[in-house]
Amino acid sequence: MRTVKVRDYSLALFLVLTGLDWTARAGDAATALPQAPPQGPLKQLSLEQLGNLEVTTASKSPEQVWKTAAAIFVITQEDIKRSGATSIPEALRLAPGVEVARVDGNTWSIGIRGFGSNLTRDVLVLIDGRSVYSTLLAGTYWDVQDTVIEDIDRIEVIRGPGGTVWGPNAVNGVIDIITKKSQDTQGTLVTLGGGDEEQGFLSARYGGGNSKGLTYRVYGKGFNRGPEFHPNGQDYDRWRSIQGGFRTDWNKNARDTFTLQGDIYDEGAGESANLVSYTPPYSQQLDQTAPLSGGNLLGRWTRVFSEGQDIQLQAYYDRTNRHSPNFGDLRNTFDVDYLQRFRIGDRNQFSFGLGARASQGHEIEIASGLFFSPGTRTDQLYSAFVQDNIALVPNRVTLEIGTKLLHTNYTGVQAEPSARFMWTPTETETIWAAFTRAVRTPSDGERDFFLSGYIGPDPATGLQRFARFNGNPNFKSEVLNGYELGFRHLLGKSFYVDLAGFFNQYHDLFSEDLTGGFGMETTPPPSEIPPSTHLLLPAEFGNGLMGTTTGGEFAPEWKPTSFWALKGSYSFLHMVLKKEPGSQDVGTGPIIAGSSPQHQVLAQSQFDLPRHFTLDLSYRYVSALPAQTVRAYSTGSVRLGWNPTRHLELSVVGSNLLQPYHFEYPSTAINRSFYGKLEWRSKEN
Amino acid sequence: MLLAFIFAVFSGPRHALDAQQSKPEEYQVKAVYLFNFGKFIEWPQATPKDNLFGVCVLGHDPFGATLDATINGEIIEGKKLVARRIAGIQDAANCRILFISMSEANHVKQILASVERTGVLTVSDMPDFTSSGGMIQFILRENKVRFEVNLSAAEKAGLTFSSQLLKVATTVKRDEQKGVEGQ
Repeated sequence: MRTVKVRDYSLALFLVLTGLDWTARAGDAATALPQAPPQGPLKQLSLEQLGNLEVTTASKSPEQVWKTAAAIFVITQEDIKRSGATSIPEALRLAPGVEVARVDGNTWSIGIRGFGSNLTRDVLVLIDGRSVYSTLLAGTYWDVQDTVIEDIDRIEVIRGPGGTVWGPNAVNGVIDIITKKSQDTQGTLVTLGGGDEEQGFLSARYGGGNSKGLTYRVYGKGFNRGPEFHPNGQDYDRWRSIQGGFRTDWNKNARDTFTLQGDIYDEGAGESANLVSYTPPYSQQLDQTAPLSGGNLLGRWTRVFSEGQDIQLQAYYDRTNRHSPNFGDLRNTFDVDYLQRFRIGDRNQFSFGLGARASQGHEIEIASGLFFSPGTRTDQLYSAFVQDNIALVPNRVTLEIGTKLLHTNYTGVQAEPSARFMWTPTETETIWAAFTRAVRTPSDGERDFFLSGYIGPDPATGLQRFARFNGNPNFKSEVLNGYELGFRHLLGKSFYVDLAGFFNQYHDLFSEDLTGGFGMETTPPPSEIPPSTHLLLPAEFGNGLMGTTTGGEFAPEWKPTSFWALKGSYSFLHMVLKKEPGSQDVGTGPIIAGSSPQHQVLAQSQFDLPRHFTLDLSYRYVSALPAQTVRAYSTGSVRLGWNPTRHLELSVVGSNLLQPYHFEYPSTAINRSFYGKLEWRSKEN
Repeated sequence: MLLAFIFAVFSGPRHALDAQQSKPEEYQVKAVYLFNFGKFIEWPQATPKDNLFGVCVLGHDPFGATLDATINGEIIEGKKLVARRIAGIQDAANCRILFISMSEANHVKQILASVERTGVLTVSDMPDFTSSGGMIQFILRENKVRFEVNLSAAEKAGLTFSSQLLKVATTVKRDEQKGVEGQ
């Protein structure tokens, strides 16, 4: 089906190629066909010249997104670069349905379709297939997930349970950060810059290889970041980091590919932590820089037999050393995964996978108010999935059914079935619907965790009063039944629209339950300090909440001319949480529901200007968080880039420009800030 | 956002005097490659019936008018180039170059089997095309359009590739087992 495009081609088409003596020439502007760009200049090029031309690709309909029956959004490297984001959490702001609230200089509260938190529980986060979700507190430590931002190929964000292929913890979404293959990061890349908050940063990467299919890259990077604005004068949230790593890819032959990659890091992230103990001073606020270090190593082998028939084997090791002011976690994680795809007949594409993970953690107790018992535990996870993708009507209607099975050291076997249906009535439209059941398995943070809070002295007895969440050996999985619907439409070649809606039913959600009244406790739980007598209000983390989230995301993209692109999104969320019958929850339901914004708007305008300048503007609106007394805010950022040569790019970025500072989360406000950056590549841009 | 709109109005159509760095689109370059393949490949004598050199697109057409703009008026081996869109392999009789769209990925093997010895050059940008027996597969490397060649498939169809073409391919495969890295 051919569409006639009427474009204004009074622009001359110029091609500038470096490395070759090619002078810019005007295309046949006057005689150009109104329906298509003049191909005259391109046809004059030799094969080598054609292969050196950088091209723009069709907007947001890569096959992987088009054919996926899920609410998937791909944040491309180009989007990340043009947004001026210097960290992965900041880049996540570009995806619809994701709430990103910056808590302080090194902490973000992130959630997908609600439930935002510092640890982003209920979301599976992966970097190149390695799960970075920690089983200690069932979440992701965003302050240690970093890489050379320019070598990120894309970030795939799936809102919703995402289906059977994804690993454990994929309840509200999946975030997959994919770095470029080493064949695509050859040569030298140096970036450096600084500003007021982004005080200084430097990264260097070198990529090489031989002509037998082996390529590699090595990198080093570091940064120093200043604190955000605290009305009470604190400035603990400084952040410094140094990190290095490598990646090698070997395409042995047409069938086999091997990858080996690893990173190692050492950071200091400032935290303000509350330290509670049963001896004086009972409660103190510690502003300290937390040393965080670690490393990982991942290996992967892929063998392709033919289209739709392949196998993949992957194994990784991850080490995390976290020394927060109020507790420490030293953790080793080993993981092995196997995945196979095969076809049966013409219409059935099967996939299945097996995975095993062991995560051994040793918790360091700093004060008696926070500890894990047992202090050392190995969490085991076994997972399997099987899925059939059935072409009911070839190229038009597909049905994907499958299930994931999970078994952890805390739970028996749990099934997470999923059914996804997709209809492509024309080449430019697609409609999909899905049902998924997903579970978030218990973590050490509910079963083994003892967390105390200091209330104050009791006037009657003079004893100190505390409340304590005691580990709940009966904490079970949180459950989601998710119903989703989506629509994608490509209008002509320049307008693309993506719409998704969801209705999620939750039960057995994490709740904070009182388990009794005040009682006297004489001996504190196992620790080194001498015993004391105090009053204790016992509580535990239970499964006492249930509720629903309803909403949708609308993300259009429009490229009116070859040098101007407009992108944006509107996300809507309506959350209702309440106590399950018989629950002793203290009333956290409305607080969780009131901690997510109901509306979010993002609008971006990307211009390619003459004389090798680029100008990118973005505007963002987030509605209020009533339970956190954070008002609605809107802010904007600007990036101006200049390529004086094909190897060099200079840029200036201004962020959070609309006010001197604004609150996204209580107590710390985000400053207006600027930074400048220089990027040099030995291979042309 | 008002600032953005004002800017857009005034940065409207730019004129020939400005050396504007404008990138061609992916399918503009692929269309020119198809034209070039016609120039750098020799077809066996016994093809086709009429005096036209057909460049056909099977399945969803990602080129649009760009393909016609590229080949209209051109002549190769004394035959006029024409662009055709076909819905099924049965209409491929007069095609010399057959571009198979990604929309046909689910049954690419059947398509390749039907045209196997008919002297048609098969080209696509779907993943694993050359592993499935296709002759030329477009790939994107660092946002540049390059291509891989399955020489065994081409030789089976009786096609001869000029060494100039093989030199610039990123990979030239034979027998689906060994690959020789090109540029």
